Amino acid sequence: MRRTRLALVTLALPALAFPLAGRATAQGSIVVVTGEHAAAPVPTVGEGTTANADVADQLFLRLAVPSPGRAAAGDRGFTPQLARSWSRRDSVTLVFDLDRRARWHDGVPVTSRDVVFTFGRALDPALAPVHAGLLAQVASVQAEGAHRVVFRFKRPYADQLFDATYFVSPIPAHLLDTLRPADLQRSAFVRAPVGNGPFRWVRSVPGEFIELAAVRNHFLGRPGVSRLVFRTATDADARINLMLSGEGDALIGAIPPLANRDRLLATGEIRLVTTPSNSIGYLLFNQRAPGDSTRPHPILGDVRVRRAIVAALDREAMVRSVFGPYAEVPYGPASGMLWISALAPDPAPRDLAAARRLLADAGWRDADGDGILDRDGRPLALSINVPATSAARRQMAVQAQEQLRQAGIRLEVLVLERPVWQERHVGGNFDIGFGSATQDATPAGLTQSWSCAGGSNVAHYCNPIVDSLMRRAQLSFGDVSPLWREVLDRVEADAPAAFLFAPVTVVAVHRRFERSAVLAGAPWLMLHSWRVRRGAELPRDRAAR
Amino acid sequence: MARWLAGRLLQALITAALAVVLMFFLVRAAPGDPLARLSEDRQLSPEAAAVLRARYGLDQPAGRQFRSFATGLVRGDLGTSIEYGRPVTELLRERLPGSVLLGGTVLLLTFGLGSWLGALQAVRRGAMDRLASAVALTLYATPSFWLALVLAWLVGIEWRLLPAAGMRDPLLPADAGALERLADLLRHLVLPSVTLAAVNLAATMRYQRAAMLEVLQQPWIATARARGLGDGAVHWRHAFRNALFPVVTLFGLWLPLLVAGSVFVEKIFAWPGLGALAADAVGSRDYPVLMGASLLVTALVVLGSLLADVAYAVLDPRVRRP
Repeated sequence: MRRTRLALVTLALPALAFPLAGRATAQGSIVVVTGEHAAAPVPTVGEGTTANADVADQLFLRLAVPSPGRAAAGDRGFTPQLARSWSRRDSVTLVFDLDRRARWHDGVPVTSRDVVFTFGRALDPALAPVHAGLLAQVASVQAEGAHRVVFRFKRPYADQLFDATYFVSPIPAHLLDTLRPADLQRSAFVRAPVGNGPFRWVRSVPGEFIELAAVRNHFLGRPGVSRLVFRTATDADARINLMLSGEGDALIGAIPPLANRDRLLATGEIRLVTTPSNSIGYLLFNQRAPGDSTRPHPILGDVRVRRAIVAALDREAMVRSVFGPYAEVPYGPASGMLWISALAPDPAPRDLAAARRLLADAGWRDADGDGILDRDGRPLALSINVPATSAARRQMAVQAQEQLRQAGIRLEVLVLERPVWQERHVGGNFDIGFGSATQDATPAGLTQSWSCAGGSNVAHYCNPIVDSLMRRAQLSFGDVSPLWREVLDRVEADAPAAFLFAPVTVVAVHRRFERSAVLAGAPWLMLHSWRVRRGAELPRDRAAR
Repeated sequence: MARWLAGRLLQALITAALAVVLMFFLVRAAPGDPLARLSEDRQLSPEAAAVLRARYGLDQPAGRQFRSFATGLVRGDLGTSIEYGRPVTELLRERLPGSVLLGGTVLLLTFGLGSWLGALQAVRRGAMDRLASAVALTLYATPSFWLALVLAWLVGIEWRLLPAAGMRDPLLPADAGALERLADLLRHLVLPSVTLAAVNLAATMRYQRAAMLEVLQQPWIATARARGLGDGAVHWRHAFRNALFPVVTLFGLWLPLLVAGSVFVEKIFAWPGLGALAADAVGSRDYPVLMGASLLVTALVVLGSLLADVAYAVLDPRVRRP
């Protein structure tokens, strides 16, 4: 589904190979507390929501997954799952050999027919518009025998293996190919999916929870617990309460607010696990006039003003006050999970004097002595659109307002309902948009927001040199670090946004679990390796199905 | 009576139809992108957004959207949720039991207990009356979301006496018997229903108390006493029954509570009801779900009002006179 949900990098975790094959007993349960009920946890059906992908990750295996602790780059850094091995025929052809031991939960073998069927759906924009966009470079997927699949791409590029393996997990053709494609979404299969992953479907109680059970004879090994529950609480307080009352075992997104850290740790039952995140937050500067993309923005069209705003912000202080130690100020648009973030130097600290100089160079003076700069009788006044759903962003917007006032810039904070914020954001109807993005696992995804023709480039940032550098980095199979470093430097210099925070993912986990590995980008992908420490079982762990 | 009833039914249908039409166009007139939720994690490409708009009919003029909504409504099809990608009728059906259970319990507590306490206040004036009034009004003035948070913290987290959230324990053993399941359900029901009932109880008590006091001053009450009837018979067999009229009206007006519930309380206790579903639909501009939930609430408001009228007409024949 989402390009973003990649397991990647940095953590020194156990290998993705299922660790419990051969263990005498697997018991215990994990209750994951989530904010949304997975209504359609089936690849190519439930597009666009994290909840669907989190559950689908337990039910359906991918052909391969990026290995923990290694950067997935080019054809390196992947661990087999459904595919036992793969090879390259030429620069545009990848061949996968499926693991013959793989079975659907109804006992039928997984074959190349399933892969071809699934990609047939995923590549059809009418059925799976999000996937079709992500897989735009895949020309065809064909079977060669029952266990060999051949992927052909439209052009040579480094992330072909990533594209072929990450976004789409195969679904069972033998159960679905008699359905009209458009009917799958409303089919019984979506209400009780049959997968091939470490957990099988037990039941869904809509709005409450989804229960999965371990597949005891799974070909990659038995999961560490026998039951896995995704429990829904749409309200943030309710989610925290479930953890504090001992009814939940794992939760993502408890911080911010920082106060939750102390509340969770005070129970003595919970510890916090951190992992790099693929999120990044920024103040996006619209370079075209709000509502009229044919004209440059009267204030933010000037790079000196944009740089001045970045210099006037005390980003470090803002990040610490909201996230504490759980975020950093990024250099350019690189979240902590992207390997290129390691190439980046420390971002420049606040420099109010430099901000004032830049604004003066751009012709902004305080002619009327009201503390706000003006030019040609027009004050240096901007507005910032903030989605009401994010308390952290609301708090930071108010801090930015005060910091910019010190530089002579008036900032009006507009807190908007999420759909209204989105409508204005996509329509380019804003001065500054307080946005956040969940990034792709490879830096190639940056082209969507930071290239001239990027589909998500709503602020109309355009630097042909940056485009060229990104294109070269994507096409090269060699060391592309210098290219990406230059991309970051040039984006920083152009200041299309003030990059504010790159948080880490904080996962609250009950202490009775050992091996509670959490992966960047797909935190629940390794739940199969979690297990309850011997002697620490709760009564409910013994009441396994 | 039949003619009167037919007239009221027709009136109710017209009211409901007007409300639905109004809601349909007002919801669409509000600013906001219905695809916002799907773009939360990742910005949709313009091509993907266009396909999704066409899939949900959002690329059509409002008039045509209404035509397809009305056609679907006649067939019992309320469309597909933009957020969940599932039929709205299914979503409503799934959430209805939770709402009816919570709302029904709250109504039962509010009217059963409230009527009894209100009547008791009227017949036992003095310290007890003043104390009950003070407690009820304090609870009435308490925001339900605050009370919910306090109860969840105190009872669910600090004391761990009752579950802090949810409608059932997902880890209940598969072989749990019906009684065990019922007990589990009731344990989860306590905090949200007590929260909602506590803040609503005062209204019923006040209505009932005032009505009871008025009835107790009627000459026929004095006649009953003169005939030698005891306090219990006078109060509960004669006065109480006659003092129920205003509360019947109140009950009709509160019937929508069955499905609408309290958004805040449902959210804080993660109760899988229609109120939370509708609130989420407002927040994400999920038009089909919003219309489905609104339709249900409209029907209940109209039905509640109709039932109250009918009950009144049955209890007091003067109402039916032309």
